Amino acid sequence: MKLPATSSSKAPVKFRMPTEDNLVPIRLDIETEGQRYKDAFTWNPSDPDSEVVVFAKRTVRDLKLPPQFITQIAQSIQTQLTEFRSYEGQDMYTAEKIVPIKLDLRVNHTLIKDHFLWDLNNYESDPEEFARTFCNDMGIEDPEVGPAVAFAIREQLYEIAIQSVASAREIKISKKGRRGAEHAISSKGGGNALDLMKLFRYNSSVVRKRKEWYVYEPIVDILSNEEVDALEAREDRNTR
Amino acid sequence: MEMPQYDPNTKPEFELYTIPSHSSWFRWDDIHETERTALKEFFDGSSISRTPKIYKEYRDFMINKYREEPSRRLTFTQVRKSLVGDVSLLHKVFRLLDEWGLINFGAVSRGDDSDNRDSSLGDTELKNQVKIEEGAPNGVRVVALPNSLKPISVPNSGADGSGNGKVVVAGETGVKLPPLTSYLDVFGDLVKLKGFKCGSCGEQCNSGCYEYSKGSFVICEKCFKNGNYGEDKSKDDFRFSDLGGNSLTHGATWTEAETLLLLESVMRHGDNWELVAQNVPTKSKLDCISKLIELPFGEFMMGSAHEMNSSSCPTGSLNSLKEGQSASSENQNDVKMEDQVHDQMNESEQNGDAATEEPPAKRKRIAPLSDGGSSLIKQVAHISTMVGPHVTAAAAEAAVAALCNESSYPREIFDGDEDYLANGLLSPTMVSDPERALQVDASKMEENQSETQDASSEKNDVPLNLRIRTATATALGAAAANAKLLADQEDREIEHLVAIIIETQMKKLHSKINYFDDLELIMEKEYNEMMQLKECLVEERIDVLERALKTGVSKWRS
Repeated sequence: MKLPATSSSKAPVKFRMPTEDNLVPIRLDIETEGQRYKDAFTWNPSDPDSEVVVFAKRTVRDLKLPPQFITQIAQSIQTQLTEFRSYEGQDMYTAEKIVPIKLDLRVNHTLIKDHFLWDLNNYESDPEEFARTFCNDMGIEDPEVGPAVAFAIREQLYEIAIQSVASAREIKISKKGRRGAEHAISSKGGGNALDLMKLFRYNSSVVRKRKEWYVYEPIVDILSNEEVDALEAREDRNTR
Repeated sequence: MEMPQYDPNTKPEFELYTIPSHSSWFRWDDIHETERTALKEFFDGSSISRTPKIYKEYRDFMINKYREEPSRRLTFTQVRKSLVGDVSLLHKVFRLLDEWGLINFGAVSRGDDSDNRDSSLGDTELKNQVKIEEGAPNGVRVVALPNSLKPISVPNSGADGSGNGKVVVAGETGVKLPPLTSYLDVFGDLVKLKGFKCGSCGEQCNSGCYEYSKGSFVICEKCFKNGNYGEDKSKDDFRFSDLGGNSLTHGATWTEAETLLLLESVMRHGDNWELVAQNVPTKSKLDCISKLIELPFGEFMMGSAHEMNSSSCPTGSLNSLKEGQSASSENQNDVKMEDQVHDQMNESEQNGDAATEEPPAKRKRIAPLSDGGSSLIKQVAHISTMVGPHVTAAAAEAAVAALCNESSYPREIFDGDEDYLANGLLSPTMVSDPERALQVDASKMEENQSETQDASSEKNDVPLNLRIRTATATALGAAAANAKLLADQEDREIEHLVAIIIETQMKKLHSKINYFDDLELIMEKEYNEMMQLKECLVEERIDVLERALKTGVSKWRS
């Protein structure tokens, strides 16, 4: 369900991804029989669940994985979907919140570090479009980078949405018709939300100081093979 | 279009930026209705982060950022790092400005979709960018050997000109070049081969060498004479190959002066090759003869020279012929011999008057005929010089008939010969036939050697001998004559064809020239038109500028 962007920030809204397409970020990391399958993609929760198994089967066939993976993949996807759906019925406050989003990911040979602001209240935001522009501007040719960036953004938004649901619950509990609910929301609704008051004051410029530009500048590195191997080894060590 | 504030002290700087005419509503000081409708978020007061003031700041910053460098295309990523706010919203503003041409209007274009990554031809930025890839590409191992191949890295062409994230390629090709070779390395062997070195004494064999027939062993003349044949080789195994007197390779460099001398001396001395050779100091007799023959008119010279000298020519010709024969190797002299023979025939034909002298002269010449050591062809040559043309022609048929009567083999051959001889035409293939016939005759010749000695003996012998001689001589001579005719014809044909080719080329060139002339005319006209157009445009431009300057808009300063 889409709400107009000008909706009041005070009213709680039903949980959903604060993006134009309400897609769930799904991450898979399955290891069986010495084979490891890592993947990350977005799933449309309005798809019927039967699609999950179909998708799992197709993936296993395409990647020539052993058939044990089918059930595991389907299970994992299902779990994450159910989790998402559990939030759906609940309210969340997405009060005027502009959150910083940090990107720190590696896709094949490309290392991306970025930092920017995202408006949670903007239900028409499109991480995919952002990713596309990003890749175009930075001249990235690896076609896997765009979707990875979009996925990373979605994941973070998802996290924040979940947090806001949790906080909304808290507030509901604690709120006893207080008037200053908005302030509470804006201050508690996410520790990392920006203080809009400070930023968008009347007599302050919205243009950053030059010395701060580097903070919000994207960094794209193309790694050599050795570096990639080293990073992968380190990641494996961390996850185990 | 903007104008700076008019400062009387400094010269006004004119910075004119072009924007499309449909964006002429744009004003620095104001926010136009177009912007308000497109970006409602800023103007509905829904959020403290979105106000008109903030919008104006975004907009002005972006436009100014672009105008810092109008030729380069401003990317969203470059501006978003400098602006506080939701990136999606910023992107919306950016896109609005882009669509209306307020930014990136003069910048080089790029493919809009991420699929359309190929840069347009005008995108010089891309071409200047080079990428370095560090490390070997996948699948290639870098080996620590001096001659190992380093991978060739292909430069990637990025789609845009932003500086971040680009790496430079060191385009090192991995092909190992061989060390530079010199001419001698490649051709040294060939150079060495030209001069033979004697196998036994090690000297250069300049004049003549003896080649071992069963292998590749060469000894010089001296060694041959001295008996230094080398191990396990005997005298018979050696074959003489003359390098010095080889008229084809040795002494073949004739300068113009030498040629001139040769011609003069031939004119003067005709067939007296000794004198000719003396006059041409650096060339031997054989060289003179061969050079003269090679000259296109050499044969005519020899012929005309002979007209002057009548009596001395047979002698001279005989001697020269003999030496000519001995000088050349067996393998390569058939044609020359025929030419010479033909020449001699020419001479003898021209000397038809001397035919009556023939018989007595013949008798004198009979003694040399006994030289059985010389080859058959030489003998035939001998004979042909001695025999007059009329006698030759008359006796040819008789000789053929006589030979046919004696055995069937020559009949086969000569039956073929007869027809040809009768018609006066000979195909070149007949050259081999006469030779075969000659070989058959060889035995008979030797049989009749004794008879020929006694010239004044029975008349039967003379006709028989005559017949034999004339038959062989005629056959050979006719073959030679035919060959020459054919050669002449070929020459003429070649000349004709060359002339045709040259003519065609000329025509081609002429038509090309005409075409280019026409083209030039057209180009001149076009050029004139362009000049006129240019003038018009300049006038218009001046007009526009005048008007623009008159309005006096002040330039916005950041």
